Amino acid sequence: MTEPSERLTGTWDVEALLSDALRPIEPPERLSSRVEDTLAAVTQAAAEELSDWADELSEAELRALRDPRNWVRPVVAVGAGGVATGALVLLELRRRSRQQSQSGLRALTSGLRSRL
Amino acid sequence: MSGREQNVEPAELAPAAKAELDRAFEDFYRAHLRDVYSYAYYRIGNHHDAEDLTEQAFLQAYRHFDRARRESDGRPLRPWVIRIAHNLASNYYRDRSRRPQTPLENADPIATRHDTEAIAEGREELRQVIEHLDQLPEDRREALIMRFALGMDNREIARAMGRSDGATKVLIHRAIKQLQEEMEDDGAE
Repeated sequence: MTEPSERLTGTWDVEALLSDALRPIEPPERLSSRVEDTLAAVTQAAAEELSDWADELSEAELRALRDPRNWVRPVVAVGAGGVATGALVLLELRRRSRQQSQSGLRALTSGLRSRL
Repeated sequence: MSGREQNVEPAELAPAAKAELDRAFEDFYRAHLRDVYSYAYYRIGNHHDAEDLTEQAFLQAYRHFDRARRESDGRPLRPWVIRIAHNLASNYYRDRSRRPQTPLENADPIATRHDTEAIAEGREELRQVIEHLDQLPEDRREALIMRFALGMDNREIARAMGRSDGATKVLIHRAIKQLQEEMEDDGAE
């Protein structure tokens, strides 16, 4: 009797043989729990790593604040602010002194007039 | 990079989004575990390494699952995860310069539910076809595994192998033809 996968002509029905030979394989039951455990561990590790990374970031920021090389900008800003304030004070003083000298001339003029 | 292409690690997602992603991945994993394991087993040839490869494939899939879902536009993700397994299997051979160390029919039957070996022992022609399959060029062998072990259609195989539908159809046709000729040659000797 001829096997179903073997044709009467003597040639092989390769597709039927492949369907028979390459059957899907049920994975061992332990594989499911193994993959699930690994995924849970990876997720946990990733979450912890993120948390550590956030901590490291604040540490890094603190370190940056302590680094004197990062102090130049604030010092320059404070200096520029001081110069601007000084200039404003000078301008105000000059304006007041001008007013005072004007009022002095007026007083002298009126004094001379009264003498004459 | 556009938002569409960005990959967000699952751990970086908001808790609710991550919970939803984990549930979806669990469904995906349960639906495709057998396919990935079958593919890995037929590519590698032993249960131990097939388990490792399956685990690695799902770990990689999990990392990129969110993006894969967004970009799939509702298409099935099976070709995607098989492609991951395919790349891992290629690395397995390339990095370690090894071929299957144990023929499929002699593989350690760890999984008692797998009865391919038993079938092959009972039928000489099944043993022959597996033997010849193992001698095919990698791409032909792979396409046949996807077609017959996983029941994938041409389009799915094309997506998994990164080829066009037409090229995949030709590849499968040639693989079957080659297998048939070699078995006939074997039978004639």
